[in-house]
Formats: sequence, structure tokens, C-alpha cells
Amino acid sequence: MAGFVDFEITWRADVFSGASQESSAANFGTMGINFWARKALDQTEWYETLAALNCQIPSQSASTESRSE
Amino acid sequence: MSKQTVTNKALPNLDLNDLRRAIQAEYQLVAENPDHGFHFHTGRPLARILGYNEGWLEGIPEPSIESFAGTGNPFSLGELKAGDRVIDVGCGAGLDSLIAGKMVGPRGRVVGVDMTPAMLAKARRSGQEARLDNVEFRHGFGEALPALDGWADVVISNGVLSLLPDKSVALAEMARVLKPGGRLQIADILVHKPVPDSAKSNIELWTG
Repeated sequence: MAGFVDFEITWRADVFSGASQESSAANFGTMGINFWARKALDQTEWYETLAALNCQIPSQSASTESRSE
Repeated sequence: MSKQTVTNKALPNLDLNDLRRAIQAEYQLVAENPDHGFHFHTGRPLARILGYNEGWLEGIPEPSIESFAGTGNPFSLGELKAGDRVIDVGCGAGLDSLIAGKMVGPRGRVVGVDMTPAMLAKARRSGQEARLDNVEFRHGFGEALPALDGWADVVISNGVLSLLPDKSVALAEMARVLKPGGRLQIADILVHKPVPDSAKSNIELWTG
């Protein structure tokens, strides 16, 4: 099944302060947000989007090499 | 209702039905006594905070406005087009569904889905009063939307995804009911500090 692409948070704001009852929201830094995404047109677009994701964390040895240069 | 324990490993010891009952109780109060005072803002003042255009509210019956309890503005992400088919997940008293009904016009369709009977009753009365025949309200849950695969051009939701314990199931449902290329326009909340497991299992924190 195709998932979502083009995810974007477009707005964030404190929407709880000033409400009449005490809220736990502030304890967790809670904010209201708006976000947008689009369902991929097909499996090809979905797999291309997944392939473009780059969440790799540099390995320890790579970062050591970088510092030693 | 049978006992149904949430299987999400991030939420140990949280019973889905207990959570739904607590949320329904909170939002029944918002429906029946919107001036009660809550930990969130409500009604027309909240709509102003969230940047709702005054014109969007014209013709919407006051009972749907007074029980509005969103956390953002799905329409700020793009107004809906004439003829669009829209699903509003967790429609509450129907404000966003009715605004959507005005935007999509008579050739469009809007389905508002909510699990709280008191909210649905209010939404249906407002829909009839506003004569928005293109808007329908159905009982249902975000994890099992009462809609066909690929039916919607747009899914909107306002302050509801955060109340569903398994976000991946809810988002998969939204994807299921959207057409390829369909849009997700969501308002919700984001936490900037880590939430401990003890808090995730505390139903009082889910509703307040």
C-alpha cells in the first residue's frame, strides 16, 4: 500500500494557555500544529520516496576518522 | 464492550475501551455543556485563535460552533475545491465538516465521523438546520473509518489523531480511504518534551 509523501508541518502555536482549567500540556511543551501530506500516486512514487530518505547515523569509526583529519 | 488491550508496545497497560470511554465522557461534556470550562479553549474564541475566517462561520448553526474544540486549522493548509469528497475524522459537533460542506458545494460530499453520540446528534441537527445536504455524519472510530477504499480527495482532522493510541493504524486508515494523490490536512498537537511510559498509560493525561 502506498503511504504519504511531501509531509510538512506548516504552523505551530501555543493553543492551550489561558484556558480556564489547568492543563498538563505545558509540562510536555505541547503545541498545536497543522500538517500536510499527500498520498503517493502509486507504488513507484512511494518506493522512490522511501529510497530518498536518509536517516543514517554516521558510524563511530567514520566520525573518528573525520576528527583525525 | 469487550476488553481490548492496546497492542502498541509503547503503551503498556492501556485498555482501548477504557480510554475511549474517558474521551467520550470528556467530549460529551463539551457537547452538552460547552461553557463548563476545560483545559482547552472552545467555541468561537478558539476559532479566532486558530485563524478561522469569519466568513467560513457564516450560516453555521451556533451549537456546532460553541462545541468546537480543535487544536489547529486544517483549512489553512488549502481551501477545499468545489466537488471534492472529504472525510472529517473525529468531527465532533461538526464545525469543520459543515465548513467543508460549504467549500465543496453541492457537487461535493463530506462525511464526518465521530465516536461520541452526543457530538454526532449535535452535528446532525446543525447539518439539517444549515440545509447542507452534502454533509453526512456517521458513527465510527479513527482506526476503522466507515468509508470505502479510495473514496476521498481530502481527509481532514482537528485535534483527534493525538487521542488515538495507535497512530500507525489511524494513518493507514486515512491512507486507505484517500485516492492516490489525495491530501491529508491535519491539525493536532506536538509535544516537545519526552513523555514517560507512566504518563502514556495515564488515561487522565490523555484527556487533560
